[in-house]
Amino acid sequence: MPYELIALFMFSTMMLMMLTGQRVFGAIGFVAVVTALMLWGTGGSDIPFSAAMKLMKWYPLLTLPMFIFMGYILSESKIADDLYKMFHVWMGPINGGLAIGTILLMVLVSAMNGLSVAGMAIGATIALPELLRRGYDKVMVTGVIQAGSSLGILVPPSVVLVLYAMIARQPVGQLWLAGVIPGLMMAALFIIYIVIRCKINPALGPVLPEEERNIPLSEKVKLLRAGLLPFGIFAAMMVPFVNGWTSLVESSAIGAMTAFVIAVVKGRMTKIVFENSVRQTLLISCMFMWIILAALGFGAVFDGVGAVRAIDTLFTEQLGLSPWTILILMQLSFIVMGTFLDDTAMLVIVAPLYVPLVGALGFDLIWYGVLYTITTQIAYMTPPFGYNLFLMRAMAPPEIGITDIYRSIIPFVFIMVLALALVMAFPGIALWLPEAIYGN
Amino acid sequence: MNQFMRKYIAVVDAMNYRVGRVAMYGIFVLVGVLMWSSISKTFFNPSMWTLEIAQFAMVAYYILGGPYSIQMGANVRMDLLYGSWPSRKKMWVDSFTIFCLIFYLGVLLYGAYDSTAYSFKYNERSPTAWRPYLWPIKVTMFVGILLMLLQSFSELMKDILQLRGEEL
Repeated sequence: MPYELIALFMFSTMMLMMLTGQRVFGAIGFVAVVTALMLWGTGGSDIPFSAAMKLMKWYPLLTLPMFIFMGYILSESKIADDLYKMFHVWMGPINGGLAIGTILLMVLVSAMNGLSVAGMAIGATIALPELLRRGYDKVMVTGVIQAGSSLGILVPPSVVLVLYAMIARQPVGQLWLAGVIPGLMMAALFIIYIVIRCKINPALGPVLPEEERNIPLSEKVKLLRAGLLPFGIFAAMMVPFVNGWTSLVESSAIGAMTAFVIAVVKGRMTKIVFENSVRQTLLISCMFMWIILAALGFGAVFDGVGAVRAIDTLFTEQLGLSPWTILILMQLSFIVMGTFLDDTAMLVIVAPLYVPLVGALGFDLIWYGVLYTITTQIAYMTPPFGYNLFLMRAMAPPEIGITDIYRSIIPFVFIMVLALALVMAFPGIALWLPEAIYGN
Repeated sequence: MNQFMRKYIAVVDAMNYRVGRVAMYGIFVLVGVLMWSSISKTFFNPSMWTLEIAQFAMVAYYILGGPYSIQMGANVRMDLLYGSWPSRKKMWVDSFTIFCLIFYLGVLLYGAYDSTAYSFKYNERSPTAWRPYLWPIKVTMFVGILLMLLQSFSELMKDILQLRGEEL
């Protein structure tokens, strides 16, 4: 059987399996095992287990449970509450200020953990009710929280980039640095959007009433102390790492420890919080790890049949497409897939197919990591299947209906596509920082 | 038959629940080892063993925690169609597709057995400065995958019992 056909067989069987609703890791693992056994007989039977050994030896993967743990401590113990208050008081006096403050809050939360769940939880349970009470437009603020929390996977530390790094065989440190400027740029674009919307129609984001604005300056300054929390956690992680005292993995453990200690000191580590964060960490880590395990097996089979080379030749030589056309087509198909695929599923389906192809076409894999993450962010938010949509529905106050949630993301998806296009057109946005730091 | 299935579900679920609950606290082992690693590296001689112990701990954490995560329904499914099906249809489809999962886990278990037997036979050690024996972690993985397989059968039996109209 020619390689293109094997590749096609593998992907179509997997898609079919996924439609049946079986657990994702089961579907991927099954296709990998069946293909391996068909191609290489009993010799293929060791592939899934050697993937487990490969996974064990991949050191940066240890950051995954650490950042998940940190994220759950932050969201369950609600130690970031004061942070919201800080933005509330400082940004309240301008039109749309609370929405802008929420975006800034999300950037800080993103710098403290690597998933979007923590941002969602803080946004939907703390910021959203306050925003609604102040008469902010519900569709706009719902979008603000979803878009803002999705920054969690682009701003370092990012779990998605850790997974990407494993599949693309790229250094995690550089990938994280590459995500910094695009992440901040995207946050800035969100803020510009909010400012413009509120300029045109101030009713969307009314200023705080007089009595709430008359807070003595000393109080206001006191609230700034809340900002110490993210900087404290970020510094505890990054200072030893940047100085070369600890590795990335050890830093992530320090970060998790710091978050835990802060929660204990603040008296927020109750029995329920402890149980929930520890259990959720196990469950989410298991979900990720088993999927990666199966995906590594899948990738090994895929590599083994030389399918990437075959697809590459098909596109560039037989169809005569230029690398850029292929890249743009890939990104478009990725976005389309993202609208109907579960995000973790997408991560494992798309990455083993697209990443080696991008490498074969001669593009920079660090840069593509950023494109990949932004596209995943879009996929997180687009109906009918987006992780954030479901989380939002579960966490938001009852007056936010499912149609509000769907409508709210439209402008933000456009902004994200714009950010994606900008990073594609100007690779320097992503690559400047890692080159400046690692270049010498 | 139903009686047997009930018994099986009760035993396997209880066992995996306990194993999973213990594995859950493995996160603190992981944090502890890595903290020790950073402290010893910064203030005195770096320890050779931390890196590999952390890796072993992580593997034990997710492999032994796996069956518990299945119990809790934490493994994502593609719910494009699945999500909107009535629960009886879900059970019907699951009782067939779960064999794909079982098949995968079976091959995984076979690989684990092969690899564990190898490391016993040749006293396999990790090719690092510390040179730990590899059989303890491989045995752990073997056991974890076996438990995962047992849990998959338990899920299948739960579906069958419910399809037969029995209460769980």
